[in-house]
Amino acid sequence: MELRRRVKLRPAIPTGSLGDIAFLILIFFMTTTIFSREKGLKIVLPEKGEEVKIKKENILVVEVNPKGEVLIGERIISIPEVKPLVEDALAKNDSLVIALKVSRRAPYKVMIDVFDELKLAKARRISLTPVKETE
Amino acid sequence: MRIAKREKKPPEIPTASVADVAFLLLIFFMVATVFRTEKGLFLTIPKAKATERILKRRNVAHIWLDRYHRISIDDNILSLPKVRMVMESKVKENPDLITVLRADQNVDYGAVNDLIETLKEATALKVTFATEFER
Repeated sequence: MELRRRVKLRPAIPTGSLGDIAFLILIFFMTTTIFSREKGLKIVLPEKGEEVKIKKENILVVEVNPKGEVLIGERIISIPEVKPLVEDALAKNDSLVIALKVSRRAPYKVMIDVFDELKLAKARRISLTPVKETE
Repeated sequence: MRIAKREKKPPEIPTASVADVAFLLLIFFMVATVFRTEKGLFLTIPKAKATERILKRRNVAHIWLDRYHRISIDDNILSLPKVRMVMESKVKENPDLITVLRADQNVDYGAVNDLIETLKEATALKVTFATEFER
C-alpha cells in the first residue's frame, strides 16, 4: 500500500466572517441601547431639622389651592403670569426666597408647572413648604 | 512614445478592516449601554420648559409614584417607612446619589409631599423631578 505524503498546509483561522460576527453583535447593542438621558427639574432639599427662619419681607409665597389655582398674595393668577411676577420681585429683592406652598389635593402637574415657571424666572432659592393639612 | 497598456483589474473594495471598524463601533455601544434594570410603573410624566439633563447616569436612583399612590423602587412596591430604609442605605452607599422622582402628572401633591419629607429623613437631599421637555 502506498502512503501518500500529505501536503502540509499552514494552519490558518478563517477571518472572512469576523466582520459579520462583529456587525451582528453591534446591531444587537445598537438596538438595545437606550439613550434616554435622565432629565428633570433639580432641587436640593434642606436637611431635616435645619429649617432656617427667614424674615417675612424676604419671602414670597406662591400658593396652589386644592382646585389647582395659583395664588400670589391673595390674587389668583394664571400660570404664565408667575414668571414675570417672580422676576419683578427678584429684581426688587436679591435675597428673596420663594416659598411654594401646594395644597395636598392639588394635582402634581400644577405644582410642576409653577415650579417650572420659577425655574424660568431664574429663582435660585425655592423652598417647598410642607403642608400638614388633613382630610 | 509608447503608451504601456494597463492591465485591467476588476475593481475591489478592501474589506480587511471592516471587522476593525465594526468592533470599534461595537465597543462604543457596549460602553454606552446602560441596561434598564427596572420596569417601573406605568405613568405619564409632566412636561416642563426648564427641564435640565442629569449628566451622571450611574449616580441615579429612581422612585416611581403613580396615580394610586403606589411607590416603586427597584420594582418593589414599598410603603413610606420602607422607602426611608431603602433610600438611607442607598445614600450610605453613594453619598452623591441623585434621586429621580418619577411621579404621575395626575397624582395629588400630598403623596409627593409625603415622599419628599421621607427623602429628607433619609438624607437623600439631591432630588430631581423627572419631566419631559416642552417646547
